[in-house]
Amino acid sequence: VNTEGSTTEERQLADMLRRVTPEPPRRVSVEDVAFRLANQGAPGRARRRGSAGRGWAWNRSWAPVLAAASVFVVAGGSAGAVIGLASHHGSTPTGGQLNSSPPPTSAPASSVSPTQVPTTAGPTFAPERVAGGLWGAELINRQIINSDSLVGGANSLYAIADGHLDRINPATGQVVAAAPYNEPTPNPPVVVGSTVWEVSSYAGSGVVLQAYDGQTLAQVASVTLPVSGQLSTTAEGVLTSGPDGSLYVAAGSSVAVVNPATRQVIKRINVSGGPVNSVAVSPDGGRLYVSTGSVELTTYDLATGAPLGSSAMTGLSSVGGNLIATSGGVWGTVGVGMTEWVWFAPDANLTQVVRVSQGAGAGLDSVPTVSGGTLWIGGSHTLECANPDTGQKLAAAAIPTDGGVVEYFGSVTMTGGHAYAYYQDQRVNLAGVATLTPPSACSG
Amino acid sequence: VIALSRIETSLGVLPVEGGGPSEPDGFRDFVEARSGALLRSGWLLTGDWPSAEDLVQTALAAAWPRWGSLTRQDAPELYVRKIMVNTYLRWRQRRWTGEVATGRLPERQAYGDVFAQVDARQALIAALDRLPPRQRAVVVLRYFADQTEAQTAAAMGCSVGAVKSHASKALAKLRGAPGLAELMTGGVAS
Repeated sequence: VNTEGSTTEERQLADMLRRVTPEPPRRVSVEDVAFRLANQGAPGRARRRGSAGRGWAWNRSWAPVLAAASVFVVAGGSAGAVIGLASHHGSTPTGGQLNSSPPPTSAPASSVSPTQVPTTAGPTFAPERVAGGLWGAELINRQIINSDSLVGGANSLYAIADGHLDRINPATGQVVAAAPYNEPTPNPPVVVGSTVWEVSSYAGSGVVLQAYDGQTLAQVASVTLPVSGQLSTTAEGVLTSGPDGSLYVAAGSSVAVVNPATRQVIKRINVSGGPVNSVAVSPDGGRLYVSTGSVELTTYDLATGAPLGSSAMTGLSSVGGNLIATSGGVWGTVGVGMTEWVWFAPDANLTQVVRVSQGAGAGLDSVPTVSGGTLWIGGSHTLECANPDTGQKLAAAAIPTDGGVVEYFGSVTMTGGHAYAYYQDQRVNLAGVATLTPPSACSG
Repeated sequence: VIALSRIETSLGVLPVEGGGPSEPDGFRDFVEARSGALLRSGWLLTGDWPSAEDLVQTALAAAWPRWGSLTRQDAPELYVRKIMVNTYLRWRQRRWTGEVATGRLPERQAYGDVFAQVDARQALIAALDRLPPRQRAVVVLRYFADQTEAQTAAAMGCSVGAVKSHASKALAKLRGAPGLAELMTGGVAS
C-alpha cells in the first residue's frame, strides 16, 4: 500500500484485492473510446447516466422512435437509418486465396485429464414468472451466465458462466454438467453434433480450440491453430460452424477451416484489411463473411477462396463483430458495452446497411441470434423476433422495468421446440435461464 | 459518403466524419498499457465487466480532449481514475433513474472445488457490495490502485481526513464480511 505506517490488515487487503481481482476478458481500445466520443456528439461531452436528454433518459426513448420509423424493416433501407457509407462492393481485395496451411496441433481425448469435470450438479428451482410474464417468461434456473452465451443443442442448453462452461437440462433448468472454462474473447459455444467447441485461448501466436463432450462436458480434444499476423484485440465472434459442421476460426489475417472430426485444418483463407474481428458462413456453406477494421465486410467464395466483394461503413471508429449470416444478408454489431448496436446488411452489402438497434444500453444482451429459423434480438427495451433473411420485424414486446430498474433478455435460443433466453433483473439480483412462449408470428 | 438520415440525427448521434477526432499523442500507448488495470478497478467498483468497460470508456473519453495538458502535468492516470470514481459515485446517486448494464450478478452458483477462484471473486464482490459507494471508492483507490491518501482525497474531492475515515469504516465492515478474512490471510489466487 502506498502509505507509510500501513497496518498488516491494510497490506493483506491490498494483496488480496490484487490476487483475487480477475484479468478483464478484453481490453478497452482507442477505437472504443473514439466510438464513444462519436456517439457523444463532440469530444469532451461525456455522456452521463441519468441526465436529461442524453444517457439513460435518451436510451429509454430511442426504442419507440425507431419503431415508429420502421427501422427494423429493411426493404432496401429506404425507411431505415442509413449510416455514412463508402462502398467498394465488387472490388477485389488482395489475398483471400486458398492456401495450404501448417498443420495444427491436435490433442486427442486420451491426453486430456478427466479430472477437470466437476461431479456436482446444480440445484433445481421451481419455475418463477418474470418480467410480468412477457412472452410467458418463466425463470427455470438461477445460474449466472454470460448474457450472450446461451445456445441450444440436442436436448441440452449450453452457456458460459464466470469460470466454467455449463450444460443445462432445458426441462428442469438444472446444471447437469460443467467444465472449467474462461472465455478469452466473447464467443458463444458452438455445438457440432455431440461436441461443444469453444475458444480457450486467443492471444499470441496461437489460437486454441477446446472440444467438450456434449453430455459430460469432458474435454475431448484441443486444437492449436497458427496465427497469421496479429490477432484482433477487439474480436467478437471468431468461431462459428458451417452447415456441414466445419469450424471456421478467425486467426489473425486469415480464417482457418477445421474438420471437427479429424481436428485438422482443411483450408486457410487469407484476408486483407487487417485482423479479422468476426466470421460467419452462409447457410448453404458457399460463402464466408469476415469483418475487419471499423467496419469492412468482405465475402469469400468458400469453394475457391476467392474474394467476391467488399463494402464498408465509414464514419465509425469501432469494430464490427458478432456476425450472423442468413440467406438474405449479414447481421452484426458495432460498438462495445453500452454503445453496442445491431445492423443488418442485405446481400452482405454495407452500402445498404440498416441500423436495427442503437445504444440499447444492454451490451451483449442485445447481440442477435438466429435459432429455429427466426432472428432474435434482446436487450433492455424490447424483445423482438424478425425474419432473418429480410430483416422484417415479426413481433416485439416491451421489456418492463422492475421498480425503475431495467430487466434484460438476451441470447434467445430454441431447442426441443421451446424457446429459452438469458434473463436478468438487477434490482432483486435475479438472473438465469428463462423459458419463453413467443407469439406465433415469430415462427414466420 | 452518404449523409445521415433524419432519424439518426434525431437520436442525437453524430458520426465521426473523416475518421473522427484526431488521436492525441501518447493516448494509444496509455490505453494499451493501462486499460487492463483500469478495468480491474472498474470491476471492483461496479462488480461486473460491462459496467467496468463503460466506466473506463467514459473516463478515457473525458480525458481525450484534455490529453495534452494532462500529459504535461504528468497526471493522465490520476485524472482518468478521478473521472472513473466520480462517474461511479454519480451512477450510484442516480441509480433509480439509470440502467445498470451487467452481464453478471454478484451472487452466483459454483460447482466443485475447481471453482474456488470464482467463489473468491464472488466473496470479494459481495463484501464490497456491503460498503457505501464512497467507502468502496476509497478501498479501490487506496488499496488496489495504490493511491496515496492525498491522491485519493484529490480524486474524490474530499479531505485527507475524510479518506482516513472512509478507509477505517470500510475496513471495519470488510472485517465482518463472510469469507473475506480467509481470503485476506491466504485464499485463492486469481
